[in-house]
Amino acid sequence: METNKQNYLPTQEKSDLTESDKQRLEDFFGRALASSKTFIGYPCNLHFDYTDLHRFFSLGLNNVGDPFATSIFQLNTFEFEKEVIESFADFTNTSTVDTWGYVTNGGSEGNLYGLYLARELYPSGIVYYSEDTHYSVAKSIRLLNARSIMIKSQTNGEIDYVDLHETLKTHRDLPAIIFANIGTTMKGAVDDITQIKKILEKLAITSYYIHSDAALSGMILPFVQDPQPWDFLSGIHSISISGHKMIGSPIPCGIVLAKKKFVERIARSVEYVGVLDTTIPGSRNAITPLYLWYALHRYGREGFRRVIRTCLDVAEYAIEHLHNAGIVAWRNNNSITVVFPRPSDRVLKKWQIAPYREISHLITMPHVTTEHIDGFIQDYLNDPPNNTLNTFIIPTNARPQALVSGEHQ
Amino acid sequence: MKVITVIIDNRPGVVADILSTVAENGINIESFNTDGVDKIGVVILTVDKYDKALQVLCDAGYQAISEDALVLRLQDEPGALAKISLRFKYENINIRSLRILKRESDHALVTIVTDDNNRAQDLVKDVLVNI
Repeated sequence: METNKQNYLPTQEKSDLTESDKQRLEDFFGRALASSKTFIGYPCNLHFDYTDLHRFFSLGLNNVGDPFATSIFQLNTFEFEKEVIESFADFTNTSTVDTWGYVTNGGSEGNLYGLYLARELYPSGIVYYSEDTHYSVAKSIRLLNARSIMIKSQTNGEIDYVDLHETLKTHRDLPAIIFANIGTTMKGAVDDITQIKKILEKLAITSYYIHSDAALSGMILPFVQDPQPWDFLSGIHSISISGHKMIGSPIPCGIVLAKKKFVERIARSVEYVGVLDTTIPGSRNAITPLYLWYALHRYGREGFRRVIRTCLDVAEYAIEHLHNAGIVAWRNNNSITVVFPRPSDRVLKKWQIAPYREISHLITMPHVTTEHIDGFIQDYLNDPPNNTLNTFIIPTNARPQALVSGEHQ
Repeated sequence: MKVITVIIDNRPGVVADILSTVAENGINIESFNTDGVDKIGVVILTVDKYDKALQVLCDAGYQAISEDALVLRLQDEPGALAKISLRFKYENINIRSLRILKRESDHALVTIVTDDNNRAQDLVKDVLVNI
């Protein structure tokens, strides 16, 4: 082991740092650690421990190519990646018999992949997406040079099915590529796949493709009792789920799953590494599949069910206590995103909360406790915002229903 | 002459803020028009450094739109976008993208990019934001 340590180049390089460089790293670590104590506004779980996997950083691992293909390149973690994909296939009500996937660099890559498949399948198709869709999607559409139409959203962030119907009707001669949000960024709203499919069927649109962006909710809905229609069972063709969000990872990651029959259309042989490359990047991260595999084995389905239950309980706690403090708040069904009127800039900064016009949200990820909620509410009350309550609207289909019916007043 | 359209919240001082943002970055304004629509305002300007102006306005948090897109003011009702897109369909003009920028009270501001913006402009004269 001593020999290994001596040959471990990164450690030698680290010891060669100047005192000022070492201090700079030390200072940055202190700042980042402090910031992590008030991190409640973004959907990243900070509650993880991958210490057992640190040694793998001493190897030049690389998952270039298709994890399900045979590769000459041996320094990969394909065997773990395949098991991760199998687990997510199970979560999304499919199997690797007719579904393929890989571990991505995050949700956006998975979305790009889904849209890429759709565009290859239907080059003349139009992408329909709601105005609550993540900003990166417009970028991906542009990158793919695809045609697109934005659809209105309902107040709760869900796509407006009437507007979708009317818009599809005027373009029913062209293939429809539906980009469905399974948990919108700001409000955690879920576009109902069954309802979308009904619209497509009613308009007799037979050439269509449905991609689900389930960045956060893709790791919530498999573990709740009454999930909205969102997965392969409901009729989607591909899905993107983030790994660093609910599962938690110090390196951003995610998974993408797609129907095998579509994936085969974009397969290209990369002979020099001996793989059939169906992925978007060339070299891919080989450590993140290990993280995901580790977390999936550590928690298991039951473990995640407990984690999600706790997150939903904390979300309910947040709504109840915000309400008790005179701050109106709501969430969508099966969502851990709690929406409330935009706080003051000082509170936004301290608790790292992303605002959007008159609203803000906190997200009760596994590391967010009731103590965090209490501290946030106290700060909100001590430094109240100006005039946001007047423009804050509670959707009619929000939770809890008591707020919608006006009992909060 | 390239045109930039900026969508703004209709509040006191916002025009001065935009002018300052552009001036501080050494950009010369060649023409400048503004109009208010409910709580939304629209500023249309031409400048000597087009790309830089777009960049600094976006960096300052403004919704700045390049001249590739037509900005339309529509009634905010189900199917409003669909009705507009039908006009292009009948004239065999392809919509490249159609995006909602802002929705306020009963109006919505949207951008539309087509494969023939010159002809498209004539088709939507009645709803075109054109100060």
